[in-house]
Amino acid sequence: MKKRGRGVAWMFYPIGFTAYANPSAAFVKVNQDGSAVVWTGATDVGQGSTTALAQIAADALGIPVELVTMVTSDTLQTPMDIGSVASRVTYIAGNAIVRACEMAKQILFEVASEELGIGPEGLESRNGWIFVRDFPERRVRLAEIARKAEVVKGRPVIGAGSYNPPTTFLDPETGHGKPYNTYVYAAQVAEVEVDTETGEVKVLRIAAVHDCGRAINPLLVEGQIEGGVAMGLGYALSEEMVLQEGRVLNTKLADYLVPTSLDVPPIDVEIVEVPDPTGPFGAKGIGEPSLLPTAPAIVNAIYDAVGVRIRELPATPERILMALREKEKEQPGRSVRDREDGRPEK
Amino acid sequence: MTVITRPAPPPVVEEAAEGAVGKRKSRHDALLQVTGQALYGVDMKAPGMLWAKAVRSPYPHARIVRIDPTRALSIPGVACVITARDIPHNRYGFTHQDQRVLADDRVRYVGEAVAVVAAETLRVATEAAKEVVVEYEPLPAVFDPIEAMQPGAPQVHEGGNIAARLHIRDGDVERGFSEAEIIVEEEFRTPFVEHCHLEPHAALAIPGPQGTLTIYSSVQRPFLVASDVAKVLSMPLSHVRVVATSVGGGFGGKNEMTLEPWVGLLALRTGRPVKMVFTREEEFQATTVRHPYRMRYRTGVRRDGTLVARSVEIISDCGAYVSWGASTLAKACIHAAGPYVIPHVKIEGFLVYTNNPVGGAMRGFGVPQVGFAYECHTDSVAAAVGMDPITFRLRNGLRDGCRLPTGQVLERVTLHQTLQRALELAGWERGAVP
Amino acid sequence: MTFHLRFWLNGQEVRTEVEPDETLLWVLRERLNMTGTKVGCEAGDCGACTVLLDGRPVTSCLLLAPKAHGRHVVTIEGLGSPAKLHPLQQAFITYGALQCGFCGPGMLLSAAALLTQNPHPTEREVREAIAGNLCRCTGYQKIVQAILAVSRGEVP
Repeated sequence: MKKRGRGVAWMFYPIGFTAYANPSAAFVKVNQDGSAVVWTGATDVGQGSTTALAQIAADALGIPVELVTMVTSDTLQTPMDIGSVASRVTYIAGNAIVRACEMAKQILFEVASEELGIGPEGLESRNGWIFVRDFPERRVRLAEIARKAEVVKGRPVIGAGSYNPPTTFLDPETGHGKPYNTYVYAAQVAEVEVDTETGEVKVLRIAAVHDCGRAINPLLVEGQIEGGVAMGLGYALSEEMVLQEGRVLNTKLADYLVPTSLDVPPIDVEIVEVPDPTGPFGAKGIGEPSLLPTAPAIVNAIYDAVGVRIRELPATPERILMALREKEKEQPGRSVRDREDGRPEK
Repeated sequence: MTVITRPAPPPVVEEAAEGAVGKRKSRHDALLQVTGQALYGVDMKAPGMLWAKAVRSPYPHARIVRIDPTRALSIPGVACVITARDIPHNRYGFTHQDQRVLADDRVRYVGEAVAVVAAETLRVATEAAKEVVVEYEPLPAVFDPIEAMQPGAPQVHEGGNIAARLHIRDGDVERGFSEAEIIVEEEFRTPFVEHCHLEPHAALAIPGPQGTLTIYSSVQRPFLVASDVAKVLSMPLSHVRVVATSVGGGFGGKNEMTLEPWVGLLALRTGRPVKMVFTREEEFQATTVRHPYRMRYRTGVRRDGTLVARSVEIISDCGAYVSWGASTLAKACIHAAGPYVIPHVKIEGFLVYTNNPVGGAMRGFGVPQVGFAYECHTDSVAAAVGMDPITFRLRNGLRDGCRLPTGQVLERVTLHQTLQRALELAGWERGAVP
Repeated sequence: MTFHLRFWLNGQEVRTEVEPDETLLWVLRERLNMTGTKVGCEAGDCGACTVLLDGRPVTSCLLLAPKAHGRHVVTIEGLGSPAKLHPLQQAFITYGALQCGFCGPGMLLSAAALLTQNPHPTEREVREAIAGNLCRCTGYQKIVQAILAVSRGEVP
């Protein structure tokens, strides 16, 4: 018999290392034509950080993103970055780039202030123009100022910046401290169909709603969430290295089951954007948290469907059948839909 | 985003509203990716390049009696064999300096590398690796972290098998349980998981002038790799350049130095570029994995559904070396109580050495394990007090100004908002499930 | 003993000497320097090495090179060029279908073979056609959307 159920799970997750320093640094140069080069040590491992960081640099300088060239992840040529880990790159490398751009922009604004007849603090830049904040029609091309700064004033337009989130280590006695500077939140809902004869679980649908602060690039954020859900689905149902005396028995992708296109259901994604004032343009992060609620949401949905609580991942057909049989033994003749077994201890 | 609120914005401000942040931009390298031009670690090549292959332990725990590369070196096309003796500083690690670049006196897990061969072709390197004679004296091994914690268990390292301990206490957990009307206790387990990034670990080392080295590697942390390579090879950091290639997925699996010091040293020894790519079997057996956790959750709740106390005990199977095990455990402990307001909390974590594959960093870093446990446990606790799982969460979930067991106070908590929207998306009220 | 291999690669005749037990994947990547075809498992499990052999998707890591003798092979380099992309390539860019991109070449060729055989597949048919191409990054959602968009002629 096939039975359907649904489950929810939510989570909180921090951005950056646990207490340890995890800085990023960035360099920026604005060229005479108003284009820019950004040097960052951050590595794009597929999550799209280079694209998101270019978008941050573009808006921080006030130039079109098409004019930003990124130089990344080379220990000789780029400034230090602790790495593409801990869901930290958008937040930390992004903040470093904003700071580098602020420094470059200060040079631009000082040069532009002569032309626009107002101090640098009264200026803004956007989309290739530098303009007076209160009289935006008074403006000059950013490229013109960059050229003037370099060629006439002898002040090449460069900037450097770094960021390290303020954290404290945990007290060894109490475990108290502030190991992270910011958190993200999410909730997911899973709908499953459980075959009570075979123990097989089919995930019908996942709804995933994540707060990543400001989404610098919603297309890439969605991609992170969808991919995380797939990884969480594998964690829930199929992925398990089988070991015998330390030897892995399933060392092939035919035997260790990563979800395929037929296993991953349609995923409804929504991004909740609550900007964080400590992040670049309010952004936080999304890389790791996307996978967290999926496995418990699926396992809770299995419970909702057939009334058995799987406490060991993955929830394989064998484990589900075994749990169903045990449940049958405990409560002979009762329907698997009964849900009183919250297993209170006493 | 800067929001322009002044009246009658002139054209420049409209342009300004455009901006790049918030836009659905395609990846900067998408064109290279779809045309097959993106260069990953596995794609790197250099003229005169040698291929490297590791010799790996078939034993989970053994003393290395002797390594004899003579027969391998006599095979035509073999250029060099390195062992632990060739590594100037054979120790590394983030919190614990327990890892060897190549095993010295002992191997501690199946697949631990004891030697690396460089040869003209991959085929010759693979054949030669089988001809490196390694004599082992098998030692008693331990594969279960609970057994490993018992007195008399085989010792994976000197100083005991408990590699790290951590605890977090908030409130008075005993008092909390005494105030509880219902106590729910459950144990959860999670498995060993492989990252399965589609591109295996791959690197190419190119020797430069004056003993310098450039290593192209498919890696998430080039700066860490550069400093670790410089340290273990006793080179000035300025002589080691690490460049991350296009990376075919990482998920934490390419978080640390793996094959880079081997190809680096072989390149320095032979004066030729050296390339290495792990097989899928090596990825499973010899690279880091997500730690398996055993977690005991005990929660005290009042009949009205208010959480009062929670204790969590986590035992993490570290495998043979700590790698990121201690920091992973810390993150797990900090989040183990879940996103709930609980006045009395006690968390205890143990990181235990075994002769299993090495646990490392993997997407979520300990929190997927405890997240599975705390959210399934939440449903059990809700059922025990006869509440539906959503009402129970909404009642106990963290909100702005709430405090974690670490004492940290949270702001801009959007848990309830995300849950509400997820339920709406899933059509919960309308009864999406028949 | 070497084998004199002759085949058509992306429409061009190619002649090269290979060992008889070399795979087509190895010949493409190491002898012909065509690294667009990726290597992920060398066991036919991941699909990263997928190429088209006489129009059919095959895992080139399992195909001995001599089996390609006299036949037509299409790799990602032959699907389209940066100047003239195949609609699937354009759709993969627009829909954000790739993250690390390593599965992309094989995924695109499996999708291209599907649309040649069946220009208007259902979502289920798309998912079946790429079931042999593992992707660890995307969850397949945007890949499926991109392929369906091409089948509906919706790609810019």
